[in-house]
Amino acid sequence: MDTLLANLTLGFSTALSFQNLGLCFVGCLVGTLVGVLPGVGPIATIAMLLPLTFNIDPTGALIMLAGIYYGAQYGGSTTAILLNVPGEATSVVSTIDGHQMARQGRAGIALGLAAIGSFIAGSIATLLIAALASPLTKLALLFGPAEYFSLMVLGLTFAMVLARGSVLKAASMIIVGVLLSTIGTDLETGEDRLTFGISALSDGIDFTVLAMGLFGFAEILRNLENPEARAILTTAIGRLLPSSEDMRKALPSILRGTGLGALLGILPGNGAVLGPFASYSLEKKIAKDPSRFGKGAPEGLAGPESANNAGAQTAFIPLLTLGIPPNAVMALMVGAMTIHGIIPGPQVMTRNPELFWGMIASMWIGNLMLLIINLPLVGMWVRLLQVPYRLMFPAILLFCCIGIYSVNNSPFDVVLTALFGLVGYALHKFGYEPAPLLLGFVLGRLLEEKMRQALVISRGSFATFVERPVSAGLLVVAAVVLVVAVLPAIRKGREKAFQE
Amino acid sequence: MQESGTAKRIPQDLGAGLFLVAVSLIALWQGADLDAGTLREMGPGMLPRGLAGLTGLCGLFVATRPLWSSETQESLAGWSLRGPVLIFGAALFFAYAIRPLGFTVAGPVAIVLAALAGRETRWVEIIVFAIVMTAFCTLLFRVALGLPIPVAPWLLDY
Repeated sequence: MDTLLANLTLGFSTALSFQNLGLCFVGCLVGTLVGVLPGVGPIATIAMLLPLTFNIDPTGALIMLAGIYYGAQYGGSTTAILLNVPGEATSVVSTIDGHQMARQGRAGIALGLAAIGSFIAGSIATLLIAALASPLTKLALLFGPAEYFSLMVLGLTFAMVLARGSVLKAASMIIVGVLLSTIGTDLETGEDRLTFGISALSDGIDFTVLAMGLFGFAEILRNLENPEARAILTTAIGRLLPSSEDMRKALPSILRGTGLGALLGILPGNGAVLGPFASYSLEKKIAKDPSRFGKGAPEGLAGPESANNAGAQTAFIPLLTLGIPPNAVMALMVGAMTIHGIIPGPQVMTRNPELFWGMIASMWIGNLMLLIINLPLVGMWVRLLQVPYRLMFPAILLFCCIGIYSVNNSPFDVVLTALFGLVGYALHKFGYEPAPLLLGFVLGRLLEEKMRQALVISRGSFATFVERPVSAGLLVVAAVVLVVAVLPAIRKGREKAFQE
Repeated sequence: MQESGTAKRIPQDLGAGLFLVAVSLIALWQGADLDAGTLREMGPGMLPRGLAGLTGLCGLFVATRPLWSSETQESLAGWSLRGPVLIFGAALFFAYAIRPLGFTVAGPVAIVLAALAGRETRWVEIIVFAIVMTAFCTLLFRVALGLPIPVAPWLLDY
């Protein structure tokens, strides 16, 4: 307990420095902005803003990027409540009861509940990260190559099962992602692999290039096909602070949502997306009068919102302790760390304690900022929605080009990004999700390295992965998850969960 | 938006599967010269080849999904040409113009080219917007953040 306190003190003293506070603020602001604007996701934004962080120290850079991520979760719910437009995929659930509340003239209270719920969830999740970080890191240090390999297999299995659409298609995307990661110089022999004779590919495909192509560029191409739907705020926002009566009713839902979301968020493979859905079903199930749901029940908003935020926060746990990103945004954080010369993994906590604890503390500060700053600014955010997309997309494109060019000062990278943009557009048309591909790509290199190490140690015997108990256990869990997901009965439930 | 009549009749999964098969074949062709090694000492070619094989296998499964899956099939339709071509062109121009011509040329041209991909083009608005964005980005990225983006090498050596 003492060390936890000492660690948090170190974290807060880092996060409260003038520069880091400013960066946290900028991150939250930008995050809210992209959360509010549909068609601009956090993945593309973080990729776009990576070059902005080159001249900042790594701690500040990661604080800002993390701010963008959870800021986007806040912003997404704002438009979900006010305009029935989920700014982010995770705020879909908030449109159900949140927007109904707004239509009944309780928009402000809905916003207030969402924000307070998110803040409580964020605070608890931050404490959870701080408490779990040390033990998990110690556990990670016991991991050999075989265990690491199996853990990544488990993570990728989760990513496969939790992706939208067919499990087979998600699996294909992960495999293609790993395949793409083998492009470039071989780790051991230094031979060029799959480079098409292009020398610029010897270093492999840059992660930001792939992310910005598949998300930034392809998003533009997809949006161009949909007619611009201009949402206009028709209801007054009204009082922002919920009454103590409202709060008393919503608090249990908030706590339940936090627990569910936090738990799902820790799962490798983007469990966080399930949080809001799971919480909504739970609230509806235990409610005395389930018929109120869908008609503006505060519990149906407060629970999922809290789950969403808790999951967004605890998704940092696998990244910070094991160095394994659980979703595409966390994969980008890996990219950001690597650019600054930090190798994500259990050693971060011992080698860069200010970075590790500073980032954790900044998450709590960021949540507080979002609560205090964003609520009064709601009107301004909504007005931003009026910026027409015909001006927005050329600007996004330009930012993408500048960003990509600046990573390596390489025009070739811009061309490659544009190519991946076309690939991303084709993937969308073929019904593939790009997120598992990105995750496979990021984990691919590590996966290969650990697999080869493990096989060298075991003298070429694949049995090593099942003979070592921890590794075997992880693989068994992966197998169970996979089998369960493809069983017809459960598959139907899964489809239903995504539809709701 | 262009929709061709034939594309509408092709099931989405058939196209999706063939796409994977194509990726797999390209990877196999590129990795043909690489030494696979043995399991005990894997060579550089083993994993790429194995993954390419898996990709192709997945592709075959996906392509034949209409035959064994009960899920309703979507058809492969609604590919547009204008957006992808213009957006790709804008980025390509940016890439090739940024070094010799600088951001003062690459920026506005990329914006205008991209804007043409939209449904409606308001010339005055987009030209003003291109100039404003170029000035803003120059100030933000070059002046304030000090990123080494050539601004106008033909004019100022900056």
